Amino acid sequence: MAKDKVKNEAVTESTEIDYAAKAKRNKPGSLPYIWRHIRQNPLAMGSLVIIIALFILSFLSPYIMKYSFSKISMRDQYALPNSEHLLGCDEVGRDILSRILYGAKYTMSIGFASTAISAAIGIVLGAVAGYFGGWVDGLIMRFLDIFQSFPGILLAILISTVLGPGFEKVILALGVSGAPGYARMMRASILTVRGSEYIEAAQSINCSTARIIRKHIIPNAISPLIIQIAQGIAAAGLMASALSFLGFGVQAPTPEWGSMLSSARNFIRDYPHMCIFPGIFIMITVLAYNLVGDAIRDALDPRLRD
Amino acid sequence: MTTYDESKFLSVKDLNVTYKSGEDIVYAVNGVSFDLAKGSTLGLVGETGAGKTTIAKAILRILPDHSTRSCTGSVIFKGQEISSIKNEEMQKIRGAEISMVFQDPMTALNPTMTVVDQIAEGLIIHQGMTKEQGREAAIKMLETVGISGDRADEYPHQFSGGMKQRVVIAMALACNPELLIADEPTTALDVTIQAQVLELINELKVKQNTAMILITHDLGIVAETCDNVAVVYAGEVVEMGNLEEIYDNPKHPYTHGLFGAIPDISKDVERLSPVDGLPPDPSALPKGCYFSPRCPRATEECHSRHPELIHLEGSHFVRCIEVEKEGK
Amino acid sequence: MGRYILKRLIQMIPILLIVAILIFLLMSFVPGDPVQIILGDQATEMQIEEARHNLGLDKPFVQRLVDYLVGILHLDFGKSYLLGTPVSQELLTRFPRTLLIALLCIVFTVIFGIPIGIRCALRADKLEDRVWMFVTLLLSSMPGFWLALMLVLLFSVRLGWLPSNGIGGWKYFVLPVFANSLGSLAGIARQTRASMLEVIRSDFVTTARSKGLSERDITWKHALPNAMIPIITILGARFGMLLGGTTITESVFSIPGIGLYMINGINNRDYPIVQGCVIYIAFTFSIMMLITDLIYAFVDPRIKAQYAGPAKAKKKAEATA
Repeated sequence: MAKDKVKNEAVTESTEIDYAAKAKRNKPGSLPYIWRHIRQNPLAMGSLVIIIALFILSFLSPYIMKYSFSKISMRDQYALPNSEHLLGCDEVGRDILSRILYGAKYTMSIGFASTAISAAIGIVLGAVAGYFGGWVDGLIMRFLDIFQSFPGILLAILISTVLGPGFEKVILALGVSGAPGYARMMRASILTVRGSEYIEAAQSINCSTARIIRKHIIPNAISPLIIQIAQGIAAAGLMASALSFLGFGVQAPTPEWGSMLSSARNFIRDYPHMCIFPGIFIMITVLAYNLVGDAIRDALDPRLRD
Repeated sequence: MTTYDESKFLSVKDLNVTYKSGEDIVYAVNGVSFDLAKGSTLGLVGETGAGKTTIAKAILRILPDHSTRSCTGSVIFKGQEISSIKNEEMQKIRGAEISMVFQDPMTALNPTMTVVDQIAEGLIIHQGMTKEQGREAAIKMLETVGISGDRADEYPHQFSGGMKQRVVIAMALACNPELLIADEPTTALDVTIQAQVLELINELKVKQNTAMILITHDLGIVAETCDNVAVVYAGEVVEMGNLEEIYDNPKHPYTHGLFGAIPDISKDVERLSPVDGLPPDPSALPKGCYFSPRCPRATEECHSRHPELIHLEGSHFVRCIEVEKEGK
Repeated sequence: MGRYILKRLIQMIPILLIVAILIFLLMSFVPGDPVQIILGDQATEMQIEEARHNLGLDKPFVQRLVDYLVGILHLDFGKSYLLGTPVSQELLTRFPRTLLIALLCIVFTVIFGIPIGIRCALRADKLEDRVWMFVTLLLSSMPGFWLALMLVLLFSVRLGWLPSNGIGGWKYFVLPVFANSLGSLAGIARQTRASMLEVIRSDFVTTARSKGLSERDITWKHALPNAMIPIITILGARFGMLLGGTTITESVFSIPGIGLYMINGINNRDYPIVQGCVIYIAFTFSIMMLITDLIYAFVDPRIKAQYAGPAKAKKKAEATA
């Protein structure tokens, strides 16, 4: 309860300031506005380039890499990085760089896709709870309470245990386990917006409920949500690799980075290069997501600006 | 150090403050100068955003670090240049010799500290009191501003707006300051409480012979409380003088506008009357006189030349090209 | 306050019951037969039937659920299919290890994360702040398990200073605690900085400055208590998570704590273990959230007032009017 209150206040503040900003520059929440902010931030721009480049390389890797990601070569077993295999080879002689590049699309898209699912479920649940209130709200909130009596990673582990391993299933597990946070945020935003006078005004001229939600409530509740989504992608990416590492996510032989590490950990004493490189790629990707996320937050949250 | 001209108890000379806002530079205060005599009261009047609060904060050197771009000029208090002394020295003056009442009582108090502790703090630092002594004195101070000592250990959220403002005033007056800067001390309050708070400030002021800078919108309050008035527009003093000079004989078109052209001190002029047009954007001030875009009497020259503050007679100063011409 | 705590504890009962029912239902959907896993591929039809009977898996679903719930009320979480040991006993044996690691981690996070955050806020946008902000961003972008592996690589494999797995003397805890806290330490530092910056720029800090307080008093007496309010929630949630077993760290360092217990339970389809762990985790997490809210109330008098109960609040309101 206490936390809800505080969150509520925070949301009120940011939307209030948004109006002031709105008067100065039009549509601070709009995509062109965010884009302008990112372009002015060299770190965020660089990150965006890295993300896009990795994605493209991932799809091109079968055509541009000398070795296939799945080609086994016993001669190159455990090969250290050399001029042939820039990042060395794994326990069955597969080229690590090829695997990392090929696997990039898995690791990177899990973050996007699961965040999209979380946000979609969360926004709908939160909007319904916040807009209708009463017993609907009570029911949804109790439901979320139950979900949130677990740490997120355990929830994801449990859901993927039931669903079984696999790329799509990890996305679903992470998506579902991340939804409560978005739902709470959406609900809090709606509660603040709902009380305001322009909603009463809209009701008084017979706007339909759906129209009020779509045209009035969502645009005003959107800023904190975009911030949460932008920063959630990095967190979801980290969680995905952790799931795979524990053996609950994408599984070998798919070269998802977390699962590559899961098998490489057994060889850390003698062939650490197998462990080092996939981790560095995870770190770079998550760092890039974080930097872009921060830039988006800075663009949308005027309290953090100087 | 103890000898100084009592008519120059506080002397502000050529104060300039700029803020940064994104890539823009905001010219908040532009060459403000004034003197304040011991025990007297100066009213700073002007529209919201004219830079009045910034002047006050610049005197106390409590401008926000992160957004202030520059602050130049000199502030001489009791013969001592306080604008250039070390911050540690300044801390001894703040709250003890000069203190400030803030505009918004809702946010001016620390929500996690009891009101008695917040008042006692200054006493403990400046007057070397023990915790118990500070507490006792703070409770006395609370009772002086009309709050029962029983409520001393409550937190700000348990108080109404008017009571919070009394706490803020008690805090500012706790150490018997020689100069009080009151930034719209009644704006956030109900009309009924406004009168009480004002009376309270006046009483304490007389009792302790405190000099005061009163920032306000309310011309009624100015007439009741102030000896001198400075009209501030776009970070500049556009007209300054004693009460009679300003009320009976306003010269600047902006002052005229404010007073609704009723230059009679005996008649009730309660509120500043609105002047047509909007104040200029302080990050892009007009080239000539800052008031020229809104001025009904503006001429070609007003749009191109920036007027100086000229001395009329007595203590009356004005910054207006038209008035300059009339004088010639 | 006492009534509030009691109310919260009572509210926890239905949540825990629903968690128990849900996890029981969920486990029945998990692909893979526990009996098959216990007995291996060579088991005959007869042996499987017998094992089913011994484990009570041949009873109807509803009866198993009811039996289980009744057991929970007596703090009996059933026995492990595979090992035959009571789950509640195993949880008790493992709890002190998990608790110790959780405590060490949270202490480490607090004593480094918060001061770094404060320092950066006070030197916002200076070089030192920028360096720390980059380092902390880097740390929070690292997967925890990878960091753990890299620490093992450096300190165990290369330098040979610290053991890489198992439990024992203090040396065994250094790497797990480091690996487990660096990420959250970085997060706490960043959040403390943001919270501090917001508070430092608020009106009441200007008031404090106008009273002539030293910058040190302003930071410690006025800014910090207010800046800590949101940090407490984050720390509370983090500690709750740690108490639920530091799954990944326990897995990397083979620490027989609760996290590893649950992972093994899942892998072996040993449902009583999974169910027991889940209920335990939900319980500790809820308790931790309650404690967080209480600490919160201690720091923030506005929230304390809400807990005082409606009667008292009403009296106050009348007194003010």
